[in-house]
Amino acid sequence: MKDRAGRVATAGTGVLFLAYVVPIMWLIVTSLKSQPDLYADPAGIVFRPTLDAYAAVMEEGLLQAAWNSFVIALGSTLLLVVLGAPAAFALSRVNGFVATAGLAGLIILQMVPLAATVIPLYQILARFGLLSQVGVILTDCAEMLPFGVLLLRPFFAAVPIEVEEAAQVDGASRLRVFLQVTLPLARNGVVTVACLAFILIWGEFLYAITFISDPTAYPLSALLSQQISFYGVNWPQLMALSVAGSIPILLVFLLTERRLQEGLAVGSVK
Amino acid sequence: MTRLESTRGFGKPRPRVLRRLNGAGVFGLPAVLFLLVISVYPLAQLLVMSVHTVTPTTLLREWPYVGLSNYQTALASPQFRQALITTLVFVALVLVANTLGSLAAALILRRPTRGNRITLSLMVFVWALPAVVNGSLWRFLFAGDGAINGIVMSLGIVSEPILFLANERLALLSLAFVSLWTGIPFGTVVLRAALLDVPPELVDAARIDGANGRQVFRYVTFPVLWPTILVLTVLTVLYAFRSFDLIYVMTLGGPGTATTTLPFLAYRLAFLNFKFSLGSAVAVIAMGMVLIMAVVYLRASRSEARS
Repeated sequence: MKDRAGRVATAGTGVLFLAYVVPIMWLIVTSLKSQPDLYADPAGIVFRPTLDAYAAVMEEGLLQAAWNSFVIALGSTLLLVVLGAPAAFALSRVNGFVATAGLAGLIILQMVPLAATVIPLYQILARFGLLSQVGVILTDCAEMLPFGVLLLRPFFAAVPIEVEEAAQVDGASRLRVFLQVTLPLARNGVVTVACLAFILIWGEFLYAITFISDPTAYPLSALLSQQISFYGVNWPQLMALSVAGSIPILLVFLLTERRLQEGLAVGSVK
Repeated sequence: MTRLESTRGFGKPRPRVLRRLNGAGVFGLPAVLFLLVISVYPLAQLLVMSVHTVTPTTLLREWPYVGLSNYQTALASPQFRQALITTLVFVALVLVANTLGSLAAALILRRPTRGNRITLSLMVFVWALPAVVNGSLWRFLFAGDGAINGIVMSLGIVSEPILFLANERLALLSLAFVSLWTGIPFGTVVLRAALLDVPPELVDAARIDGANGRQVFRYVTFPVLWPTILVLTVLTVLYAFRSFDLIYVMTLGGPGTATTTLPFLAYRLAFLNFKFSLGSAVAVIAMGMVLIMAVVYLRASRSEARS
């Protein structure tokens, strides 16, 4: 009986694997096709691979867009860590009304649809002359911060308070205790959350297309999102652009995969 | 252990030792200030804009006050009602399929075999990919000259390409499908973690008492999973409600208005039709619905924490 359940599970694993690997395979395969090959057989996997599509997107400013993405995602993530780590620490060390209000506030902010904040933010950023990458860095960070703090909190809560108290007895200031004792002990969590934030911000495009008027300042995600408006899509180029936009995610993912899964399981159900 | 720590709800008294290190709250001030300026203030501004007339030319000047007329216009318009229905249908579809799909995938992948680990990693990777990438990929797969039509047509199943994204009826289903494809990995990770919390002694005991596989699931596994399922349900509703990126990339709300959900309608009104105040009113209504769900979520997660 157990054997049968085991076989069903194995078959299920196979189905799931195919359901995810086949589309991804097509993404890569199509990016290596020439237009005529694609028209001849859109689903075919026998063809002469070419890097033409990649060369074409390079010419259309792929590197500039990738650099913009990098600046925005890194800037936002750093800001998120600088603001979020102390906030998560605070939240893990207070109790009573402040803790409840803080958590509830963060959860609500985390749920606000982007489409709701983008309208007033456009007006506010315009007023302060921040319709630029700087504005996108600030707003992306604000968008991710509640999630980041909620995810970081358990890692700070896990640092034994006795360690901090011992340092304080030795005469260290609260800031020094945080920087030299608590933060190093919670660094796993900080790295996990930073990676997750980087991945999510890398893919954000709504703020970018709305707040940045100069397309040469667009991040990759924004460039990708604008391909729909082109008349007659060049599929190999679109797929090449998509692959290029996924490579940094793959790198971060490979570095932190295990932690990422744990982080998701922990952070979501709170 | 860390999981249990983290899922402890708020509103519950923390262990008394924590009280000794008071004053730590100061560390939260920079984040609070930042969020007040860039998250809370815009929401207040959204409310203000929704009761004024704001156009591109008056965006940075004084706005005439018009009371609730934007709300009246929005609520009376057929596109609002259409978007409301679309939103509800889409959310319901994704909710049911995502919960069941995640549960099935979690059960399938529960054992830490090599194949399961690889599959789960692949799924999480897909989840981590930007929505613009997944959306573009499926736009190609679903296109009239795309891969899926290439296959079904060469097999002779259909003679005309299936218009997955250009057909009014199919477009929403296709979107929901992609939304599931990218969303199920998340639910799977969450539910699988909860599954691993099911005490093995309990399962063994039930087996010794003669329970079959289905009974073990029904009376042992499921009750442990239930609170997590509940939280996941709410998260899924929010996820579906917020799914904006896929709509933008794959259909831009079309064909016609077939895939225009409320948040997308708000965006469309504000930035494609330049009716900022009307868009704001729709966004406020959407926000109200999110707030209701937030309350449900807070309750659900508190009951999850209690268990």
